[in-house]
Amino acid sequence: MKQFALIAMLAVIAAALPLFIGENPYITGIMISVLMMAALSSAWNILGGYAGQYSFGHAAYFGAGAYTTMILITLYNLNPIFCMAAGIVVACIIALITGSIVFRLRGHYFALASIAVAEIVRLSVLNFEFTGGAQGILLSDLSLWGLDLNSKNPFYYGMLLVLVVTLTITAWLRKSKTGFYLQAIREDQDAAASLGINISFYKNRALLISAALTSVLGSLYGLYIRFIDTSAVLDLRLSIEIILTAIIGGVGTLWGPVVGALLLVPLAEVLRSNLLGDALVKARLVSETSGMGLFLKENLAHAHVLVYGIITVLCILYLPKGIFGLFRRVK
Amino acid sequence: MLFLQALLSGIMTGGVYALAGIGMSLVFGVMNISNFAHGDLMMLGMYLAYFAFTLLHIDPYLSLILIMPIAFLFGFLMEKVFISRVISHPHQNQILLTVGLGLIMSNTALLAFTSDPKILTTSYSSSAFNIPGGIYLSVPLLISFFITCGITAILSLFLLKTSTGMALRATSQNREAAQLMGINVAKMSAIAFGIGTALAATAGALIAPIYYIHPLAGHSFLLKAFTISVLGGLGSVAGAGVGGLIIGVVESMSSTYISSDWKDVVVFVLFLAILLLRPQGLFGKKGGES
Amino acid sequence: MKKKFVLLVAAVLLAFPLLTSAAPIKIGFINSITGKEAQIGENLTNGIAMAIEDLKAKGIQVDLVKEDDGGDPKNALAAYEKLVTRDGVIGVVGPYTSGCANVVASRADQYKVPLLVPAAAKEEITMKGYKNVFRLNAPANVYSSVLMKAVAPYKPKTIAYVYAATDFGVSTVKTAQENAAKMGLKEVANEKYQQGQLDYRASLAKVKAANPDLVFLVSYDADAILLMRQAREIGLTPKAFLGAGAGYTTAQFAQQTEISNLVISATQWTDDVNWPGAASFALRYKAKYAKDPSYHAACAYEAMRIMVITASTAKTSVKLQAALKAGSWNGIMGPVQFADYGGFTNQNNHSMLVQQISGASYETVYPAQFSKKKLIYPFKR
Repeated sequence: MKQFALIAMLAVIAAALPLFIGENPYITGIMISVLMMAALSSAWNILGGYAGQYSFGHAAYFGAGAYTTMILITLYNLNPIFCMAAGIVVACIIALITGSIVFRLRGHYFALASIAVAEIVRLSVLNFEFTGGAQGILLSDLSLWGLDLNSKNPFYYGMLLVLVVTLTITAWLRKSKTGFYLQAIREDQDAAASLGINISFYKNRALLISAALTSVLGSLYGLYIRFIDTSAVLDLRLSIEIILTAIIGGVGTLWGPVVGALLLVPLAEVLRSNLLGDALVKARLVSETSGMGLFLKENLAHAHVLVYGIITVLCILYLPKGIFGLFRRVK
Repeated sequence: MLFLQALLSGIMTGGVYALAGIGMSLVFGVMNISNFAHGDLMMLGMYLAYFAFTLLHIDPYLSLILIMPIAFLFGFLMEKVFISRVISHPHQNQILLTVGLGLIMSNTALLAFTSDPKILTTSYSSSAFNIPGGIYLSVPLLISFFITCGITAILSLFLLKTSTGMALRATSQNREAAQLMGINVAKMSAIAFGIGTALAATAGALIAPIYYIHPLAGHSFLLKAFTISVLGGLGSVAGAGVGGLIIGVVESMSSTYISSDWKDVVVFVLFLAILLLRPQGLFGKKGGES
Repeated sequence: MKKKFVLLVAAVLLAFPLLTSAAPIKIGFINSITGKEAQIGENLTNGIAMAIEDLKAKGIQVDLVKEDDGGDPKNALAAYEKLVTRDGVIGVVGPYTSGCANVVASRADQYKVPLLVPAAAKEEITMKGYKNVFRLNAPANVYSSVLMKAVAPYKPKTIAYVYAATDFGVSTVKTAQENAAKMGLKEVANEKYQQGQLDYRASLAKVKAANPDLVFLVSYDADAILLMRQAREIGLTPKAFLGAGAGYTTAQFAQQTEISNLVISATQWTDDVNWPGAASFALRYKAKYAKDPSYHAACAYEAMRIMVITASTAKTSVKLQAALKAGSWNGIMGPVQFADYGGFTNQNNHSMLVQQISGASYETVYPAQFSKKKLIYPFKR
């Protein structure tokens, strides 16, 4: 019960945040990205953290949601809610096919097979005509069924809602029979099978929940950015980012992915936009015209992915159980 | 004619892929790690070959004598400093560590060498043998192919005949048992990663005269190297060699008879089919299936 | 612990806007500094740096805020929103890639901060009627139409397409097919490829078997060299190779004389065109960066020059929009005016050039009023 209360409390705080921030599209945009990554990573965590099946192909479900929604809206101007539902169906079909292939495999083979399936989806979308191919899909309408797409708040609350649902499902899983079975599969698959647990059924169940949630986030992303192409929604980089967020936060914990997203997304943005260099100059720690100031201004923009890589390596080496693992150790 | 042209250029290209796959497979066999930095290690070999050519005026194929030891040392140290620390961690942590190391390598290269692609132009870069019947064989690809065959043969002999080679194979077959038998498995891991790096860099150097050199150039080959090593059976040198040739021919046949933009899909479908029908790969040991 | 953490993050996020300060004339620049498009992005960065230098020499001070989008539309949106709401820029130059430019352009009217797109080719960007979106370069359809016009007098009969499976590749070939149909050209091969491959021989052998008069190519930087090497290797010799921009217009490609000689390409800019300052820009660029400028560098230079000169008198975004709309300029990109025509809004009706490589250098061969040389067709190796 404590978990559910905590989710509810934090959800209320998060829901109230835009009132304090006011009209600040830049900050709201970053917070939307945080919520989206937290939800993506939490949804991945249901399969990866609880069932121990490390999918490296979650971009496929995200892309399924985004593409289904954008295609249906641009072609038939259907209600976005209906489009999202259709996205879930497509994602679940891909998940069922994927599951029937990859769940027969373990460890590295599972990871590589999940990449292969996602790559097949990506390349197919790139090659077909009806998906917009390499040109992607641009949504030029600014309002859909009464929804003002220029406004950021609907997307903030949409992402928040999916995150809350994902966390609630995760918390419920921890208490339910399904959750126990999944953890049994994660710890020792052969022992779980010998106890009579239908391994394939429970793995597929976790995958379907995870894929459906991921696809809703993809739909929201498409409507929010109003442009999608394969490199934005179906790339291997996205799948890796999702896992990285979960691992740095803490795999297999309820709050780990949320903590990971709260840390990584703002960090990536601070590095990308060179806010770090700016802040040092503003705080008068570094003079803008000094060698150091110029170096920061000119080079940090080129180096932000490098810094991200270094942080990744340091986290894996020194925080292998994630930040949340560290928190628990402190307690 | 189209068929023969596709077959021959597929085999030649496959030879270069094979080298990348063998490096990946060896690292996997001995250390049980999927190395996502493999493409970036290839990139390292490309730049080494480029600078050996432009600064020292050494032919890219001759420069392998320099590149292989440098790359071996680089890989050996990389294993000692980073990889060895996660050897007992979960797979996904190992994968993300190599992803992070790859990001560091490619973005350091981006800062050091800029994103301008470098072109290594030799006197034979676009020359070809004309076989009667309208079939053309690329000279640099042919040289690469023979070098690949040579290196694969030497590597196989090393694994079969030397004591280090046998220790590597023993570690690959059963890490715990090898340790009990008094084999220094930590050292074997570092050696395997060193050899894997040297092979990746060699593949990069072989590609350099027929490709372009760019900080992200290795990424196109990463998934191919995975596919090849799984196809041949993770840990099997001969398997990866054959796997490389198969991928080369499949790619070139599918661009000829299906369409060039669907050829990667064909390769991945083949990859999944092999995983399902023969998870241990063509030549590998058992263990992938559940 | 958890709550403290959440509060801490919230506090950090809230602190960002407090860091802003006022500056005289602030312009934003969004570019692909990292990521897949970084190699072309660097040309834009250099062009912009030269523009800022030249403006400083004239006594115009600019506070330039540079943003990297890494080629990701989500980052481009964040960059634009940061520039207009946090940094308070009055105009933005960029982004480079079509995807990013599309996303940012669709927000320009919402924030009413003018966006000047220097080099993105997608037609849609200036076809949606956005008041605050301006584009300097000619859109994708002009690449193919100018090439076809240049070779039309020689009456080619057949054409084959070989192109990268990218937005630019697919868009350009689509318009090329329309133009070819009008000219009565017969399409004999169509080979789309994924970038970054090692071996294009199978595709090229198919093209060779179809024996086309024209081979129409769209490739990025280094792919172009690879493709042409392999084309030479297998003995593909059409009457003309037509390269649409990008990879066929780089100095690096021209220097590969054994494969590049006599290749015809469409470009936004050349260094021997008779537009004011073009030749001296090329010389100074080469002295500074030790390489020839690409058309992207020239586009970025001119876009930034126009943006800053206009902004320095306009002072506010609203006036800047009006001044960009009303003004006309003449510089290294020739006459520039943002006009509404043929479905476009605020689009500079830029006259693209056709160039042919002769002995490692590009020579403008079409249109006649801008060129000194004549097209050589058909060519023999």
